[in-house]
Amino acid sequence: MLPLISIVLATLLAGTVATFLSGTKARWTALATSLAFLAEVAVLFVRYPGWPGYTGAGIPGFAEGESYAWIHLSWLQINYTVGVDGISLVLILLTAILQVATVIYSWGEERRPSAYFGLVLLTCLGCFGVFVALDILLFFLFWEAVLVPMFFLIGFWGGPRRRYAALKFFVYTHVASIVMLVGLLALVFYSGATSFDFSAVDAAARGLTGVVQAFLFLALFFGFGVKFPIVPFHTWLPDAHVEAPTGASVLLAGLLLKLGGYGLIRWAVEVLPSGLHTDQPILFAVAFLSIVWGSVLSLSQRDLKRMVAYSSINHMGIVLLAIALGSSLGLLAAVLLMFAHGIVSGLLFMSAGSVHHTFGTRDIPNLGGITPRTPALSTMIMVGSLASLGLPALISFPAEFTALLATYNGLGYWVFVPLAILVVTAAFYLWMMQRMLFGPEKGVPSDARDLPWYEGVGMGILVAATVVFGILPALLVDVIVSSPVKGFPGT
Amino acid sequence: MDVASFVLPFLPEVVLLAATLLIFLLDVLHVRRTEIVGALAVAGAAVALLLVVADLRFAPLASLATLPAGRIDAVGSPTALFAFTSLGLVFQGVFLIATLLVSLASVSRPSDERGAPIFFGLLLLATLGMLLVTVAADLIFLLLAVELTSISTYLLVAYTRRDPRSLEAAMKFYIIGALSTTLSFFGASLLYGAYGTTNLYAIRLAAGPVGFPVLVLLGYGFLIAGLAFKATLVPFHAWAVDVYDGAPTDVTAFLAGGSKKVGLFAFFLVFLAPILFVRTVGGGSPFTGAAVGLGPVFQLTLGVLAVLTMTVGNVLALLQKEMKRMLAYSSISQAGYMLIGITVGTAPAIAGATLQIFAHVFMKGAAFLVVGGVAALGIGPLVDDYRGLGTRRPLLSVAFALMLLSLAGVPLTIGFVSKFVLFSAAVQAQGFFVWLAVAGLLNSALSVFYYARVLKVMFFDPAPAAPADRGAVVGASGPSILPAGGLGYGRAVAIGLSAALIVLVGLYPQPVLGAIQLAAQHFVATGA
Repeated sequence: MLPLISIVLATLLAGTVATFLSGTKARWTALATSLAFLAEVAVLFVRYPGWPGYTGAGIPGFAEGESYAWIHLSWLQINYTVGVDGISLVLILLTAILQVATVIYSWGEERRPSAYFGLVLLTCLGCFGVFVALDILLFFLFWEAVLVPMFFLIGFWGGPRRRYAALKFFVYTHVASIVMLVGLLALVFYSGATSFDFSAVDAAARGLTGVVQAFLFLALFFGFGVKFPIVPFHTWLPDAHVEAPTGASVLLAGLLLKLGGYGLIRWAVEVLPSGLHTDQPILFAVAFLSIVWGSVLSLSQRDLKRMVAYSSINHMGIVLLAIALGSSLGLLAAVLLMFAHGIVSGLLFMSAGSVHHTFGTRDIPNLGGITPRTPALSTMIMVGSLASLGLPALISFPAEFTALLATYNGLGYWVFVPLAILVVTAAFYLWMMQRMLFGPEKGVPSDARDLPWYEGVGMGILVAATVVFGILPALLVDVIVSSPVKGFPGT
Repeated sequence: MDVASFVLPFLPEVVLLAATLLIFLLDVLHVRRTEIVGALAVAGAAVALLLVVADLRFAPLASLATLPAGRIDAVGSPTALFAFTSLGLVFQGVFLIATLLVSLASVSRPSDERGAPIFFGLLLLATLGMLLVTVAADLIFLLLAVELTSISTYLLVAYTRRDPRSLEAAMKFYIIGALSTTLSFFGASLLYGAYGTTNLYAIRLAAGPVGFPVLVLLGYGFLIAGLAFKATLVPFHAWAVDVYDGAPTDVTAFLAGGSKKVGLFAFFLVFLAPILFVRTVGGGSPFTGAAVGLGPVFQLTLGVLAVLTMTVGNVLALLQKEMKRMLAYSSISQAGYMLIGITVGTAPAIAGATLQIFAHVFMKGAAFLVVGGVAALGIGPLVDDYRGLGTRRPLLSVAFALMLLSLAGVPLTIGFVSKFVLFSAAVQAQGFFVWLAVAGLLNSALSVFYYARVLKVMFFDPAPAAPADRGAVVGASGPSILPAGGLGYGRAVAIGLSAALIVLVGLYPQPVLGAIQLAAQHFVATGA
């Protein structure tokens, strides 16, 4: 059997290095790498057996498993272990789609293109690594590897307050990842796991007492939660988003936030089910707080990009709620939501970026009636907004519907909190579209031109994904539900 | 016991001593060119290193081994002056690598520089003292070996005899060093009063009730203070930055990369016993009479020292504007990480600290070598003077960047692996030690800032308007233009080798770590 995951990693690594070295041709190298990555992910998808209990290369529950000894000491057994299951596979697909779209959308980047595209690829490489790593050290290496390129992307290609934003991003997420690392190490050593492999830790953690599980779960929850981001550790996000260049914003919202969700599912929820059970009230409280506060902040913004950024907090709050339910339906909803939010927020951030290029401002009240002059851009904004408010036949609808259903199953009438927020948000999006896209023309410069081809194509890819997976969510659902998630009684 | 079987195990030391004496002899004969005495020093250190590695039984070299297998990790004797432990051999290797790198780099200094024989001779003499520390099995022998190193390094700091800054640094170093020696010997004498012996093994065996518990506590207390000066632990660190700053930069590389670790290894030897073996003193508490374990007392003390050292070193490093002072403070904070090893006292922790010490040679020692080379290129001492170095000296800058990233503990470098092993060992030990790991990790996060600042200055800030011309500067100091881009071949090789090892061991640490692990397990099992 081909070591497919290692081949993908090698492709990305080689492509990244080549991009850094290829000077003005960097965008072509980056595009070639991204397309190769997408093709390889398609192969992974096709090969994924898609039935429960599939065992690949001796790693229970995972396909395409590979494991090689890396550091073996008497008390440390660290391997290069990788593999995918349905949950990671869906997020890997998201990575590949967003990478292609981002590279094409950023085609016009003129400042040091080789470094820019190289860092974009490096970010995606790190995300892919996080999604496939099944060893704690390997996971942590990739986790940290995402931080550095994003720091530089924000710090050099960002807006006026980029230095502050980059530093804040780095400090928040770095401190969180340190707590996460201590939590993961404690997980290994307190459980007496024989190695750092996921399967060994997972098996050994069953022997931990409830109190220890609860504490470890909290530490991991904090570590992953800052990436989510959860209220009150969310303040890095709007700064980073608003200052970041559009491509970086897309990756930040589309991928980096998903790392938190994925990490929580893979390393905390699956491994420490009784910890989840004990800490459930805390998670629910944080989730509701994030949902409500995120949307309140989002609705009070004038800046389009800021509004989208804050709405991420709200959406990821729903993801957290779905995860915290601790049911397989909730888990399915969480993964679907992450995929949907990755695509849709990418589309919206690209729209905000294009609005900024075209009109020189992102201030919603200062813009109006832009549709006649920029029909393509307006269409993109409309699709993004409609998807974001959960219109059926677009990707968010099945995700949000599943999430609400799972919430009702788990928490009964508490479902009205996210439901009410969704309704209010939907109304706000409609109002925003009405003001910006329609009505009398306002704030449109005389030389405003519609989208350049590359921005159109980049966003078009995401629109296509929104529609295809909106109509056929089964493509994702079938893969996700084939993951034998352990630890939920009765599932 | 015939002479050969007594001398053979000491062959590395004998080689070093012979090279030292030869260098001093050549000095008397007016053969003083840097290349000649430098080559002698390099050769001496290299041969000694080969012998030490052979003694560690690495297959390709094992036939060179001078130590009979049975004498390594032999059960301690209550009368012996010295004992060969595999951890000691590992440290000998580390020390010799530091000496080798420094002398390799110094070979490419101007060939008619004054004092070259003194520099290289004292370098080897200091190394000899360091090698003897690693085989010490007796407190007095240990302290005398430390003293041999110390006296050589006092002189090394002042070897140029012209620079008032170096002289001031040497004076400060000497006075503080003498004080710390006094404290150590006083502590040793109190321990002798308590145990009736200065043999470390015998002290270990004297577990359980001791007649004079106050003497034990005071003795170890003085030893902590005395050795902490050598190892630059806060609050005994104040001398280090001035000395590191004032000393010739290559000497600083040796002090930070090599001789300071002597203090840390002495900590290993001296405090392993109270932490692991001496459970109680007296029929009761140290002062009143109820049974009290000594281990927790020392672990708490050393733990507090470790956290203090890391934190103070890092915070002060953040505030520095001069490159050498910043690296000096960072060196202090690194000593704090290493101290975690002996505080936890388990084999994994000792292995982690040993790897950290091994890594520090390539990270900090080589970083000072870079700073020395950069100064020779006519670039100023401030961090801001390094502006634009990335475009003017891409290879050198990348090597320097690797060292700084490794110091910061960034993944895929040796510095990450060593911290990972160290902190995971602390977490594994559970309880109070988890907080040591947390403190260490937070400190690593803090330290990223000042290292990242240097990277930013080197790679992203524009170069100063009129870049200093190296030809003019080197030309002004006399000798012909040095090869290898003004650095000299020796220095370029030493820097390149360090950078390569940082990445290679960072990617695949198994061979090094495997050897260190075995050594640490023996050490903890058999003691001094």
